[in-house]
Amino acid sequence: MIPIYGITLQGVQALKVEVEVEITGGLFFIAVVGLPDAAVRESRERVRAALRSLLIPVRGRVTVNLAPADSPKEGALLDLPIALGIAQKLGVISLNKPALFVGELALDGRLRKTRGVVPAAFLARKLKIPLFVPQENAFEVSLVPDVEAYAVSSLQQLFDHIKGRTLLSPLRKEILPSENIVADPDLADIKGQSGAKRALEIAAAGHHNLILVGSPGSGKTMLARAIRGILPPLSQEELLESLQVHSTAKLDFQATLQPPFYTVHPTASIVAICGGGSALRPGEISLAHRGVLFLDEFTEFRRDLLEALRQPLEDGKIVVSRAAGRVVFPCRVLLIAACNPCPCGWDGDMVEQCICSAYEKERYRKRISGPILDRIDLHVSVPRLLPKELISFENQRVESSKVVRKRVCMARERQRKRWGKYGFHCNAELPERFIKRSLQLSRDVRSFLIQMSDRLRLSGRGISRVLKVSRTIADLAGSSEVEVSHVAEALAYRKGSVSL
Amino acid sequence: MDHVALGRWGEETACSYLHKKGWNILDRNVYFPRGELDIVAMDKDELVVVEVRTRSLGYLMSPEESVGPVKTRRLVYAGSCYVEKVDWNGFWRIDLLGITCHKDDSYSIEHFKDITNGMSFL
Repeated sequence: MIPIYGITLQGVQALKVEVEVEITGGLFFIAVVGLPDAAVRESRERVRAALRSLLIPVRGRVTVNLAPADSPKEGALLDLPIALGIAQKLGVISLNKPALFVGELALDGRLRKTRGVVPAAFLARKLKIPLFVPQENAFEVSLVPDVEAYAVSSLQQLFDHIKGRTLLSPLRKEILPSENIVADPDLADIKGQSGAKRALEIAAAGHHNLILVGSPGSGKTMLARAIRGILPPLSQEELLESLQVHSTAKLDFQATLQPPFYTVHPTASIVAICGGGSALRPGEISLAHRGVLFLDEFTEFRRDLLEALRQPLEDGKIVVSRAAGRVVFPCRVLLIAACNPCPCGWDGDMVEQCICSAYEKERYRKRISGPILDRIDLHVSVPRLLPKELISFENQRVESSKVVRKRVCMARERQRKRWGKYGFHCNAELPERFIKRSLQLSRDVRSFLIQMSDRLRLSGRGISRVLKVSRTIADLAGSSEVEVSHVAEALAYRKGSVSL
Repeated sequence: MDHVALGRWGEETACSYLHKKGWNILDRNVYFPRGELDIVAMDKDELVVVEVRTRSLGYLMSPEESVGPVKTRRLVYAGSCYVEKVDWNGFWRIDLLGITCHKDDSYSIEHFKDITNGMSFL
């Protein structure tokens, strides 16, 4: 008998599950073995009802084994392979080649949308076997190249296909059109703040982390949101990585080339951000993979949460080890943090007086540790504009997001061309050793860097981060060599340039 | 009619009903230490344990309501004992026949097939 395969999720990977069925005489009962979770165990009710709705009577003691027996199975996506296994055992259908089936059954035999179809598509591609998914998941799957996939809307339709009555046609490969991204807010809508806008441009071009420090109402949040309008679209490869995470974590999401942008509230828990839970789900930082994770009111986050971000920010992946298992989630994010310079918020303001004591400021500063700040490449002060400045800027011509985005896209294109063969997408992603070897610095730049890093007491990581940012600035300028002016600008964004 | 006689009459009625359906009656009133079976019959290739519930009008509970989890568990237990005893390896199920007597000496039969329906009662 041809084996029937389903999947279960392990992190963002799909694990192949073989569904075996045995039917013996006795009182009707369906037993599911092979470490099923509650959703899988309940699938027997859905499967029974769905099969009965197709007038397929199930009788006797039905034993469903999900192999490998010792890894936990989760989710309703095993409904379809279990139903097929029983139908095949009853002789209703007979597969002629192995295939992967994913889907949740409704009681009347329709197929419902499930999580995990994109990892399933990757698995089907690797095993070189066809994949059957619910109709509602068809679009996600059609974005994965080189998969023989079929969209099924009901169990009856699938049976007809297997019996050869009415054949389904394989899903056509779709390519997302690079739609016009509406910048909201547009950079042109933000008055002044040219320094912060320049930092946003660099951050977007090289995927560098950014912190905005400024008094209340100075426009930090608005600036952070504006980055959505200037980020370059995801490449095909990046899109698939992002889809894989979203498909494991959520039922409804929109597949777009627009990089993800996730805002997290300070009350979030470590598990919500880093991933975990009993079923080992990806957290916000993984959902924001290849996009932006925005932590507004950075100082209000719990200290242990911020410290937990250290390693993921550096490595671009997060290892979640729990009793349920050990999984690796991707999390190559652009972190944007925003905070006030002091508890009252007016430190350094031109009009308001800061009323914080030195002790209060000290305590406030201590909420964010050095190691975290060291991982943020661009430190930018966002001063509050005076009313008369706000009004005087009214008629000034400012670059719109569209213009900046074009520049950013070109800079990113240069990076992809340069690093693509090594498997990197942007400057921020380069490992430390790699950057020192591959950036041929001129003697001038080298001596300038030595001099400045000595004066600014830069750490080893600091130097390589400065180099990465310099490379991005050079890419934005269209220069193939990193020059002194590029390094100088990168150094200006280092830690210490902002009072925090 | 007292309730014992009513029950006996109900079982007779059920037997003739099943007979008319073409079922082969195998056994009646089989007793086991923890439960009894009213009728055991064959529906084609499937062995069926039939529980008969007779009610005269005026009872508060309908026949199907009067078989709760405890009674069902007893039936599953007794059924398994019977299957063991007669060495039956095929499929079997438990049916409920609800017979309701009306005032004018007429009666109606309701047949509920496979009352356990995949649920575990043991």
